[in-house]
Amino acid sequence: MRRRVQSWWRVWLAQDVLAILMAAGLLVTGLFFIYSASWRGEETGIVGAWFPRQIWWAGIGTAAALALTAVDYRFWIRQAWWLYLAAAALLVVVLVAGTKVYGAARWLNIFGVLVQPSEFAKLALVIVLARVLGGGAIQPRSLALIVAALVIAAVPFALIAAEPDLGTAAVLAPTVAAMLVAAGAPFRWLAALGLLGAGGIAAALSPLGRFLLDDYQRERILTFLDPSRDPLGSGWNAIQSAIAVGSGGLTGKGFLNGTQNVLGFLPRTVAPSDFIFPVIAEEKGFVGASLLLLAFAVLITCYIRTAWTAKDPAGSLLATGIAGLFFSHVFINIGMTIGLLPITGLPLPLVSSGGSFMVSTLAGFGLVQSVHVRRFRREVSNV
Amino acid sequence: MSRRSAKPEVSVLRLLLLWAVMMGFLTALGFRLWNLQVAQGMEYQRRLVRQSLRSVRLPGLRGRILDRRGDALAENRPAFCVALHLEELRRTGGLSRTVDHIMDTLYRMAETMDRPLDLGPGDVRTHLGRRTPLPLVAWRDLDETAVARFMEHAHEFPGAALTVEPVRVYPQGDLACHLLGYVGRADIEQLPESDGEPERFHYYLPEVAGRSGVEKRLDGVLRANAGGKIEVQVDVAGFKFDEVSRREPGQGRDVVLSVDARIQRAAEAVLEGEKGAAVVVDPRTGDVLALASAPGFDPNDFVPSVPARLWNDLLKDERRPLYNRATAGEYAPGSTFKPVTLLAALESGAIRPDTRYSCPGHFDLGRARFRCWQHWGHGSLDAPHAIRYSCNVYMFHAALASGAEAVQEMARAVGFGRKTGIGLDFERPGLVPDNDWKRRERNDSWRDGDTCNLSIGQGALLVTPLQLAMYAAALANGGTLWQPRLVRRIERTGGAAQEIAAAPAPVGPRWAPRNIRTVREGMRDAVNAPDGSGKRAALPGVTVAAKTGTAEYGPKGAGLKMTWMIAFAPFDDPRYAVALLVEDGVSGGTTAAPRVRRLLAQVFREIEGLDGMPLPPPVEAPAALPEEEPA
Repeated sequence: MRRRVQSWWRVWLAQDVLAILMAAGLLVTGLFFIYSASWRGEETGIVGAWFPRQIWWAGIGTAAALALTAVDYRFWIRQAWWLYLAAAALLVVVLVAGTKVYGAARWLNIFGVLVQPSEFAKLALVIVLARVLGGGAIQPRSLALIVAALVIAAVPFALIAAEPDLGTAAVLAPTVAAMLVAAGAPFRWLAALGLLGAGGIAAALSPLGRFLLDDYQRERILTFLDPSRDPLGSGWNAIQSAIAVGSGGLTGKGFLNGTQNVLGFLPRTVAPSDFIFPVIAEEKGFVGASLLLLAFAVLITCYIRTAWTAKDPAGSLLATGIAGLFFSHVFINIGMTIGLLPITGLPLPLVSSGGSFMVSTLAGFGLVQSVHVRRFRREVSNV
Repeated sequence: MSRRSAKPEVSVLRLLLLWAVMMGFLTALGFRLWNLQVAQGMEYQRRLVRQSLRSVRLPGLRGRILDRRGDALAENRPAFCVALHLEELRRTGGLSRTVDHIMDTLYRMAETMDRPLDLGPGDVRTHLGRRTPLPLVAWRDLDETAVARFMEHAHEFPGAALTVEPVRVYPQGDLACHLLGYVGRADIEQLPESDGEPERFHYYLPEVAGRSGVEKRLDGVLRANAGGKIEVQVDVAGFKFDEVSRREPGQGRDVVLSVDARIQRAAEAVLEGEKGAAVVVDPRTGDVLALASAPGFDPNDFVPSVPARLWNDLLKDERRPLYNRATAGEYAPGSTFKPVTLLAALESGAIRPDTRYSCPGHFDLGRARFRCWQHWGHGSLDAPHAIRYSCNVYMFHAALASGAEAVQEMARAVGFGRKTGIGLDFERPGLVPDNDWKRRERNDSWRDGDTCNLSIGQGALLVTPLQLAMYAAALANGGTLWQPRLVRRIERTGGAAQEIAAAPAPVGPRWAPRNIRTVREGMRDAVNAPDGSGKRAALPGVTVAAKTGTAEYGPKGAGLKMTWMIAFAPFDDPRYAVALLVEDGVSGGTTAAPRVRRLLAQVFREIEGLDGMPLPPPVEAPAALPEEEPA
C-alpha cells in the first residue's frame, strides 16, 4: 500500500488513531481521579489546586505533542548531540542550583515554575541512542554497540542518580536495554550485562551498599521487603496503598467514594501524583484497574507497532526507546503501589498529576507519532 | 524482507520479543491485582475497617429503684449539655491553631451563655489527642437560662450542639441513702457483659456504676444490656468523618424494693439527731419495710462525682454518716438477747415456763458477783415474768442450767454470727462467742462467767440491727427465720417481671409452741403491764410486744451504752417487727422504747389507717437518768 502524502496537512491523516484514543482516555481518566484525590484536600486546605493545574499541564503537553508530530523526527536525530549536551548541562545546573524538595535537588525554578531537567534528559538520551545505534556507524550485533550505549547513558544516569532521583535513573536501564535489543545487540552480552546489574543491586543492598545508596534509599528498599518494619514511617505509603487497592474489591467503591482516599489514609500529598493508581483501583475496583492496565498495554503495543513500521532504524529505535520509557514508568509505578516493587517517587504516565513529566510523556508521544506519520517510504513530505 | 539494505535494520522478531516481555510484565501486574483485590479483597477490607472505624459505647438509661408502692427512690432526669463537634472546628496548620480556634469558640460561648468555662487549652489538647472523634462536652447540666441563651445564639457557633444526658437523681433526698447507695463514674472494666461475648469498644462515654447499696448490688440489672453503640468512620487524623451505624441505648430494668418509703421515712424521723439504726420487717415474709441508719447523707451530692471536700468531710465526721449501722454495725444486744437464753433453756428441758428462781439483786459465782439491774432484786419469779421485768439473775440460772452450748446454738439458730444475706456491702456477721472462739482469741477456756455474760447479751456477743430485726420477726411469727427480702420484683420492659420469692433462712430455730408462747407473752407484758420494762412503747388500740436492751460498751465505768428495743405488733397477728438502736442512749426503756412507739404509731396511722391512733410527740433526749431503768 503506497500512498502519497503531498501536503503537510496530510500528515495528520496518517496518525495512529488508536494510540491517540488511548492516550486521550488515560489523560481524561487521570483528570477525573486527580480531582477525586484532591477535592477533599482542597476543602480542608491541605494541598493546593491540583486539578486546574493538571488541566494546564495537559494542555501544554498536548501542544508539545502536536508540535513534535508535525516536526520530522529526523530533525531531532540530526540534532541529537546538541540535545544530549544541553540535557547534561541542565542536569549539572540542577545539581548546583536546583530547588530542593524533601532533600533531593530535582527541580529547576524557571520563572516560578518548577521543571525537572531529568524529564528532558530521558528523551534526549533516547534520541541520541536512536541516532548512534541506528545510524549505521557501529556494526550491529557487536560488543561495541553495548559499550557505546552504556557510555552515552552513563552520564545522565549518574547525574540523575546524584540528585538523587533513583526512580528516574532506574527507568533508564530497561529503556537502554530495550533499545539495545532492538538494535541487534548480541544476547550473550546482554545477558552478561543483566547479571552485572543484578549483582550491583545486591551489592547496594548489602551492608557495603552504604557507600552507594543513601540511608533513606536503603530504608525504602528494606521497607519494601518488609513493610511492617516501620508501619507509621516509610512503610506507611506501601501499607495504605495496598489496603486501598485491596479493599477496592472487584468493582470498587465508586467515584469519589474511596475510603482510603477520602479519609486521607492515602496521603493527600502524594495521592494525586505517585499514588493515583490506588485511588483508581479503590474507587473502580479490579474491573477499572485492569481496564487501565489494558489501555496502557494497547498504547505500548501501538508504540511497538510504530517501531516495526518505521521508515528507518533511527525512527524505529526512537519509538522503541520511548515505548521502553513509557513501559518502565507504568510497571514501576503500579508495581510499587501493589507491593511488587519498593516505593520510589515515580509517577504514572498520562494519569498522575505532575507538570514536567506530563509534558515529557506527551512529547514522547509526539515523537512516536512523528515516526508513525512518516512510516511510508519516500512519500512523506519534508516538513 | 526485500527492502533490506546495508544500513542496520531493526528485526521484527526482536521487537516482538520486546513487546512480549512488556506484555508479560503487565500481565504480572494484572495477576497481582486480582490477587490483591479479588482473592484477598476481604482481608484488606477488614484492615481498612480496623484502621478507620471506631466504636463508641453509649451508656444506657439506668433502671429506676422504686419502693413497694412504686414511688421512685432513684430515677433519672435529663441534663442539658453543650458539646463541640471538633471535626467542624479543625484548622489547618498545626494542632495549636485548632486548639486556639476551639478555645476562642468556647470563650465566646461562655460569654454568650454567661457561664464559667471549666476547660482549658490543656483539656482541649488532651481531648484532641485521646478522644478525637468524640464531641467535646464543654458544659454539663446547664440551667434553663443558659440553654435558652445558647439556643438563641446557636447559629453563631457552628459545630456546637445541645445534647441531653441522663443524670441519676434521688427524688427523696437522703431517704434510705445507706440502702440505696450511690453511683459513681464507671470504669471500663465494670461494664456489664452482654449475653455471650463481651463487647469491646474504642471509646466509652461517661457512664455511672453503682458504688454501694442497692445501686451496687443490682448494678447489672439496673444497667442491663442497655448500652448503645455508634460506629464512626474517622479520617487519618482521627477526626470523625461519618457515622456508620448506630444502635440506640436502651433502658435498664426497674427494681421494686420491699421497702415502704413511708415506713422508711418514719424510721429515719425517730432517729433524727441520733446515731443509730432502725429496721422494720414483715414477719410474714421477711420483707424489709425500712432499713434506716443515722446519720445519713444525700446521694444526690455524689452525682456525677463526689466533690473531694464533701468526701473528706464525710470520712472525717466522727458520727460516720457513710456507715450503714443497720447491716455493718456490730453491737452487743444486751437484754434483747434474753429471749434466746430463755428459749434455749426451755427447749433443752433445763427449765419449764413455770420454773421459778429467786432474784436477790445479784448472783455469786465463786468470788465474782453478777448484778441484776434492779439492785434490790426481783424476788422469786417464773419465766414470763423474767422477760417482763428483764431479770438478769433468772437468765444466769437458766443459762447455767441448760449449758452455754444450748444458748450458743439457739443464738446461731436465730441468725446470729452469720450474715443475713441481704446482699448489701460491708454486711457484718456479728459474733456468737463459744469455747473455740475463746481458746483462739483469748487463749482461755470458756467459763461459767462467760455463760452468765452471754445469757444477758453482754460479753463478746455481737449482732447487727438487721439480725435483731429478723430475730424479732421470728419471735413474732412463732419460729420462722426469714432471709431478709429487700427486692420484691425486677421489671422487664416488654416481658414478665421477675418476682423474688420470700425465702426462709437456711438455718432456723424450732420452738415448741408452749415455749415461744411463754416468751411472746413475756414480751407483751413487758410493754403492756404497768410495771413492764418496755412500757414506753405501748400504743392504744394495738398490742405491742417488745424487749428492751441496754448494753454497756467501751471501758468499764465510762457509762457508754447501746440502747435497744426489739418489738412486734400487733401481738395476735404480727405484721411489723422492729429492731431499733440508739447509740449512747440512756437505756432501752427510756431511749429506744418511745422511738419504737412513735415509729409504730405512724405505721398504724398511715399504713393501717387506724384513725384513732394518736401520734406521740417526738422523743426528746432526756437530760439525765430519770430513775433506775431496766437493762
